Amino acid sequence: MSKHYSDWEAVIGLEIHAELNTKSKLFSSAPNRFGDEPNTNITEVCTGQPGALPVLNKEAVRKAVQFGCAINAKIAKFSKFDRKSYFYPDSPRNFQITQFDEPIVIGGTVIAEVDNKEQSFAVNRVHLEDDAGMLKHFSSFAGVDYNRAGVPLIEIVSEPCIHTPKEAIAYCMAVKAILQYIDASDCNMEEGSLRVDANVSVRPKGETQLRNKIEIKNMNSFSYMGMALEAEIKRQIHLYMGNGDASWDHLIQQATYRWDPEKKETVLMRRKESADDYRYFPEPDLVPILLTDAYIQEVRSSLPELPLQRERRYVKEFGLAGDLAFQLTSDKILSDYFEEALKDCGNARVLCNWLLVEFPGRLKDMGKTVVDHGIPSHHLGKLVSLIDNKKITGRIAKSVADDMVAAPGKDPELIVQENPDYQPVHDHGEIELLVTQVVTENPQSIEDFKAGKDKAFAFLVGQVMKLSRGKASPDIVNDLLKKKIGDKV
Amino acid sequence: MHNLSAIQIRDRFLKGEVSAVAIVQYFLDRITKYDGQIGAFLSVFPERALAKAKELDKRLAAGETLGKMAAIPVGIKDNIHVKGEISTCGSKFLVNYRAPFASTVVELLEKADAIIIGKTNCDEFAMGSSTENSALQKTRNPWDLNCTPGGSSGGSGAAVAGRLCPVALGSDTGGSVRLPGAFCGVTGFKPTYGRVSRYGLVAYGSSLDQIGPLATNVSDAALVMEVIGRHCEKDSTSMVRNTEDYLSKMSGNIQGMKIGVPWQFLENLAEEPKKAFNNSLEILKNLGAAVVEVDLSILKYSLSVYYVLATAEASTNLARFDGVRYGVRSPRAQTLDQVYDYSKEEGFGPEVKRRILLGTYVLSAGYQDAFYKKAQKVRTLMIRKYKEAFEKCDIIATPVSPFAAFEIGAIKDPLQMYLEDIFTIGINLAGLPAVSIPNGFTTDGRPFGLQLIGPQKHDVDVLTTAFAFEKAEPSNVAIPELVK
Repeated sequence: MSKHYSDWEAVIGLEIHAELNTKSKLFSSAPNRFGDEPNTNITEVCTGQPGALPVLNKEAVRKAVQFGCAINAKIAKFSKFDRKSYFYPDSPRNFQITQFDEPIVIGGTVIAEVDNKEQSFAVNRVHLEDDAGMLKHFSSFAGVDYNRAGVPLIEIVSEPCIHTPKEAIAYCMAVKAILQYIDASDCNMEEGSLRVDANVSVRPKGETQLRNKIEIKNMNSFSYMGMALEAEIKRQIHLYMGNGDASWDHLIQQATYRWDPEKKETVLMRRKESADDYRYFPEPDLVPILLTDAYIQEVRSSLPELPLQRERRYVKEFGLAGDLAFQLTSDKILSDYFEEALKDCGNARVLCNWLLVEFPGRLKDMGKTVVDHGIPSHHLGKLVSLIDNKKITGRIAKSVADDMVAAPGKDPELIVQENPDYQPVHDHGEIELLVTQVVTENPQSIEDFKAGKDKAFAFLVGQVMKLSRGKASPDIVNDLLKKKIGDKV
Repeated sequence: MHNLSAIQIRDRFLKGEVSAVAIVQYFLDRITKYDGQIGAFLSVFPERALAKAKELDKRLAAGETLGKMAAIPVGIKDNIHVKGEISTCGSKFLVNYRAPFASTVVELLEKADAIIIGKTNCDEFAMGSSTENSALQKTRNPWDLNCTPGGSSGGSGAAVAGRLCPVALGSDTGGSVRLPGAFCGVTGFKPTYGRVSRYGLVAYGSSLDQIGPLATNVSDAALVMEVIGRHCEKDSTSMVRNTEDYLSKMSGNIQGMKIGVPWQFLENLAEEPKKAFNNSLEILKNLGAAVVEVDLSILKYSLSVYYVLATAEASTNLARFDGVRYGVRSPRAQTLDQVYDYSKEEGFGPEVKRRILLGTYVLSAGYQDAFYKKAQKVRTLMIRKYKEAFEKCDIIATPVSPFAAFEIGAIKDPLQMYLEDIFTIGINLAGLPAVSIPNGFTTDGRPFGLQLIGPQKHDVDVLTTAFAFEKAEPSNVAIPELVK
């Protein structure tokens, strides 16, 4: 039993903290803004001055409810805040105001595309709470920046329903997409406006009970999360497998690990020897949040198109593959860009390929995306349109794309016009010469083709294209080549 | 002038009979003369007060309409922020803490042209019943300097009793306005929870705290309520539709009113206070009220419930005093843990430490169900029992305290001290309005107080009953020999 690695499965639950992009903080009028001078976006509430009182930001409540509606969750008509006590300098009151046992959003489902199939993930709850400040260490002292203290967060707690790193990434992408579509969060993992903690355990397949879990923090990108989960799952399975029949419940102890991207492993932060006692109790300075059916209905009915709806629409209307549609719609900005570009061309599938494969490949090293590199959407539409209308070949298009990356903002039509090398050859005579040369030089391929090997034909087309330096119109090449081989038969 | 009420002083000022500067100077002189013995004030603001007085004199001369509390000097308990002034809360921890913002009440007072004259002493973070827990100074009762003024708003009570200012603000979490009112022979009013904004009041027990006035008479207390009893956007627990015309509604007619008395709760009352209380009931009857019995036997749990809930809230409210951001950081501290440990160890007095420990304990895992949650349930039950009682009567009457003012140092056992609040604490748990008014003296001249309690939001009814009583039993006009 469970002797093989593949006999094991992981059980993962994710806690996603998303900073809401409200104008002001959760309990004060201080601006909610990232990147300002330390301790400038603060009021007496943010620094926990004695005598200061919290006042709930309605905009934050609305965004939390919007998210709840977007995942088809139950919106609590009664929810309340609690004090969670712990001492740390970034916590201005030494208690956090959170929602302990009566959260604003209960349950819900997030649907994400995994291996080209829609998969449902169950959410346990979503609650509102305020963020802490940030500790900064200097050579001989430490300082605290309270700009972040009081920024509204929603914590989205999944059920332990995730079993692979791939599923975890898909789930997170879907959650992030929803937050962006409803304009609830900037979801910038580098700036910390989206933070993911994972609870991970493993067990032999078929076992129903949950084994001891450990928590992983500090995974500040989805790819790091994938690597961290992969490493941690492997560590746990090997630990169990290497210890034979030893009583397993002592092998993994509840603890918090962090992901070390340098070492590419999870590193122990602290053991949970005794359970943390946060002494939760209802926050007496705030009244419960009471929501009416009318309010919830109004929020629900004013939701914008959500990523899942958009993804299904792309599959239906444009015939995109599910996973591509998921990938595209998971990034609201890219998806909006796609829709803009589509106004200048008619081929969604080709456009999708340029957006998800060609341009990211060219921009990867610069750490940019097609959007923030400054290439206008209608330029991309025009590029696809040039290909579609056979104004340029696919081969030339790749060079044009290189030029578009080198000079963002330059119209691809102009790029093609200005460069004689980008004029495709439509002249039959010119192409026929090349076809003749290729047919003469590759008798074996012609034999193969006649023997029924279609690949051989593609090879021959490729050879012609190569000789024309990619400029020959592929349609003409096809026609002439078929004719030529036919002649030879 | 110190024999006048706040309203009379204001009216004389408005008629041009006395300048605001003269009023302020008069009370500043009294503070200089008497406060060395009494110790009511922790800080006095001669410059601030005189500057405001000069401004008022100018505006009056210019024919401007002035606010309801024009030229009335007011003392502020030291746990309520006056912007730019030190708020010690009676604690060593905050001797260097200058309030960076104004409390709503002080803002409202100043807008009504009252003159903030100084900050008054109190038990550390309002935890106590005698002001002996102030880490900064002793406050003595003007009626007998050997006695405490009650607490925790003892400085405010003593200041008004000593006529060092005509009115003062206190805060009341379990009786902290009413007890000093009774011990000092002045009127102390604790409004319905939510009536007065807590913004800028340093929290002790947030669900119980309420700011209220201390005054030499009911009308002055009502005047202050008209000014500070307003909805405040910065306090989420502030009542909406809050404004009342207390003074014009105070008819003084209590004909046909039913006064409820929880007799079973008063069984063990000593002879002297019982006599004063019975005498007060006779007076109320003579004014046309009927006395009925109400069942509030549940109140026997009020001390237990209070010391679980108030300390639970306090343990988190006071967690912010850690030496990191403000207040006194221990100079011995080398590490973060030492900053926390030593600053609290040196900054807090024994009663504050006791309550933080108790509050931390009752919230801890494994104990929360037995203590905190159970206490919440009993609190809910008490609220219901009060409601039932108020179906039988309009106002409930009890003594404020089982005793008159006691000698400084006489009560050493903290549990014995907690018993001082036995009659006042239930009112905070139920969020009710209640007033303490003088209703006689011990044979050696220490005042007694009568407590009148109303249903939630019936603040005016409470004050109108007190107003009628005061006209019939004017103990309040007596002034301690020391300060006559």
